[in-house]
This record gives sequence, structure tokens and C-alpha cells, in this order.
Amino acid sequence: MGEYVAVGDAGSVPDGQIKVFPVGSHMIAVARVEGRLYAFDDTCTHAACSLADGELEGATVVCACHMGQFDLDTGEVLDGPPPDPIDVYAVQEADGKLLVELGP
Amino acid sequence: MPATFVIAGANLAGGTAAATLRSEGFDGRLVLIGEEPVAPYERPPLSKEFLRGEAPFEKALIRPADFWEAKEVECRLGTRVTRIDSGAREAILGDGDVVRYDKLLIATGLRNRRLGVPGAHLDGVRSLRTVADAEAIRAEMAGATKAVIVGMGFIGAEVAASLRLSGLEVEVIEPLPAPCYRALGPQIGSVVAAIHADHGVRMHFGESVDALEGAGRVERVVTGSGTRIDCDFVVVGVGTVPVTDLLDGVGVPLDNGVVVDEFCRAGPRGRDHMPQGDPDLGIYAAGDVANHFHPLVGHHVRVEHWQNAMKQGAAAARSMLGASECYDEVHWFWSDQFDANIQAAGHVSSWDDPVIRGDIEARSFAAFYLQEGRITAAIAINRGRDLRRCLALIKARAVVDPVLLADPDTDVRAAATT
Repeated sequence: MGEYVAVGDAGSVPDGQIKVFPVGSHMIAVARVEGRLYAFDDTCTHAACSLADGELEGATVVCACHMGQFDLDTGEVLDGPPPDPIDVYAVQEADGKLLVELGP
Repeated sequence: MPATFVIAGANLAGGTAAATLRSEGFDGRLVLIGEEPVAPYERPPLSKEFLRGEAPFEKALIRPADFWEAKEVECRLGTRVTRIDSGAREAILGDGDVVRYDKLLIATGLRNRRLGVPGAHLDGVRSLRTVADAEAIRAEMAGATKAVIVGMGFIGAEVAASLRLSGLEVEVIEPLPAPCYRALGPQIGSVVAAIHADHGVRMHFGESVDALEGAGRVERVVTGSGTRIDCDFVVVGVGTVPVTDLLDGVGVPLDNGVVVDEFCRAGPRGRDHMPQGDPDLGIYAAGDVANHFHPLVGHHVRVEHWQNAMKQGAAAARSMLGASECYDEVHWFWSDQFDANIQAAGHVSSWDDPVIRGDIEARSFAAFYLQEGRITAAIAINRGRDLRRCLALIKARAVVDPVLLADPDTDVRAAATT
């Protein structure tokens, strides 16, 4: 179990949107899709673009730069040029905060 | 006897086709033949991240190195198919070997056009197609202070940006009025020129090259107007030629590449003046070399971009397995130059009066090209989301409301009126 880190306020990610939260030097993206939250690395593994600038298509994020597609449940590459998956994290809202479970 | 499928071209199109044949259940013999001595890789990084030393070559491999053996794909690398005997269904290789095929995919891609001027053979005159070419340019970059790029299509423009970002002085000579002129047109081409100028690239448009001069090694470029530009090395990017010589004498139409139908099939028969694929011939083509009938465009097109190589390679594989789904992806490509992410989709029939969304001066905009009220193409700079959203409109040939299309506060998709 990793440690839950408060990255922002609960409710700061409206449905259908992606927001970026810096955690140290690490950029964590949080998206809300039909009420469900997803947290993942904001940096595309292909050319380091911000995935928050991209497009949500269900639980898939499409990078705005080169249309790389990642599954937000697993981080897997679904289409496009990215060579590697992205890391995905558990995320929840509690006590008015947005909590992301970052690595051990 | 299980069937044998042969793929000529171990690149993005050919490699993707091989991987797709296996993932779709083909369990016959599969032979992937490629001239370069390396496993299939994609070329976009060669002018960008790889050239600048920011990403290792392994990142460009389209599958992990051990994939091909694990999937029982016989990779014949370092040799090429030189001739096809379509009667005997044999591919004759450069090393003398003969491989019998039941179905054959031509994914031989392109070769670079040579610069036909005196001195083009000098040392230090480079072009870019393969990873070996990119390594040679990297070797030239070490210790050099100034390069001249001949030609400012996408290769020339991306190499110019990468060399400049690596600290070199760069001058570019291009006969057309703007960079990437054929693909981006005059208006957006001039935006790209301004981006390069901001970063210190010196450009000479409407200018030709008369000669390259030097004692054994290139020392300067002499332009058509008589300017002499000293340099440490030259990169030539003056266009490409589809590699079709292996099909000479086979009888399949060769016209700006291998002519194939919307199922990636080559064939000699005519239909409405258009060659129609012959499934019995067993010859298919995909990627840069394939001049393919595209239902959305309404005629044959040949495109030299990453997405088409991958998607059409996969489509050809499914077609080889007997599927009857036609290949009608909206063509799409990107180019990264300095801080500009350029993307384009569809086919522009006229450069006149595009609908502009966003701010051209701020270099964050999309240009939408309409034909009789329907959207047929879009080009975006640093506006990928809008471009992505209009792909479905292009595919649907949607009639669009130009006012909504231009309004940055309206979702592009909401501009469709049909």
C-alpha cells in the first residue's frame, strides 16, 4: 500500500475534465468520467506532452500532441505512438480533499 | 501445406502487418524481408528526439526486440526483394534466395530523391531515411558549427529545428515560397517559416542549389542566384520516390507507387478507369508505397505518414486474411518543430479561405478547409484537441456551420449541422 497524498480540494475536478496537480516534481493528472475519478501520470510516454491537454473518450485519454491513447484503468497503450504505458494511481475524495495513492 | 505470406519491407507498415496477421490468427509461414539490418522501427524520431540524442533507438522499435521470434515471424534482414515472379508466386531476394508465397505484401516504402547538382557526392552531404542516416548526421553534428539544409519539406524543416536546438547555425534553401508548402499551403507555411525565423534559422525561399563545392568534403553551397554559403555539412531533403522496381514486369499498375484498391489489393483489371484489386493475384500494398483508392477522398492517394503506414499495414493484413472491410481512415499526420506541434487531417482541395479558430499570431489555432460547405481537412498548430474532435466530422463529410467552427468557445463537434 502506498501513501495517500492530498493533491487538491475535493470537487476541483468537474465531470469530463482533467486537471494537473504537481506533487514535488511529479505531475499527476486527475480526471472524472461519469462521476468516477482516475489518477495517472500527466506526462505522455511518447513525447512528454501533458495528457491533461488531451481528450477524454470514456475511460481513455487521448494525447493532444500525437493521439496516443491510454486506458485510464490500467495505464495501457491502446493506440498511437507511445512506447510505454503510464502509471495509474488509486484516487478518492475524503475530508474535502482529493487523495491520490502514490508509490511506496 | 500451411500458407506462406511474404512481406517485402520490415518497417512500420510491414512490421505492423506481420504483427496483425499473427494477432488475427494467421498460423502459416510468415516471412518479413527488410533491407536494413535492424528490426522494424518507426521513423518519426529520426529527425527529432533520436537526432538530438534525447531518445535511444530502442524507443523507436515498433515491438520489443524478442517479439518477432516469439511470434514465429521469419525476419530476413539486410536483404531485399529484388524481383517478383507472380506466375510462380516467388519473391527473389538480393542474396539470391527464393521464397515462394501464397500472398505477398509490398511495403517497400520510399527512397530519397538525390540532389542532381555537381558536388552532391562530396563527403559531408547527407540525407535522412534510415537510422544509419540519422547516426551519420549525428556524427556530422559533433564538432560542427554550421549546416545547410537543402529542401524544407517536413524532413528538412524538422532536421533544421533539431540542428538549431542542438546549437548549430542553420541555413535552409527551398525552391517553393514556404516550408512544407505542398502539405500546409501558403498561409500556414508562412506561420511555420516565422516559427523557424524566431529560432534563428535563416531561410532562402524561391531559391535553388547550383552546386556543392569542397575539396573532397563539402565546404559550401552555391545557390541559383549565386550566393555562396559556407558550411560544415549539408542535409538534403528534396523528396522521395516510391520503391516499386521489384514489381517491374509483373503487370500490376505502377503509377506514383503501387496502385491498389480500397482493400489494399493490387490487380490489373479496370473499373471506371480505376485499377481494381484482383484477390487471386495475391499481391497487396500498404504504407508509403501504396497509391490507394480512398473512398472518402474519392480517388487514389498516396501518403507518406506514420498513421497511414500503421493503419494501412494492419488493414492490408486483415485483407490478406479475407476480410472485406475497406480502408477508409481519415489520413492524419503530425510534425514537431521547435515548440510547434503541427497536425493535419484529411485532404485539402483548395487553400483559399479556411475557417480559422484561435489565434494565428499566438500560434495556437486550427484551420478548417471546406468544400461546398462540408469539412474535408484541418490543419492545427498547438491545437491538437480541436483537430482530434474534427476527425469524425471529416469522416462523416459533415456540413458545418463556419461561425460555430470559428468560435473557440464552441466544441468543434457542435459545428456539424448534418
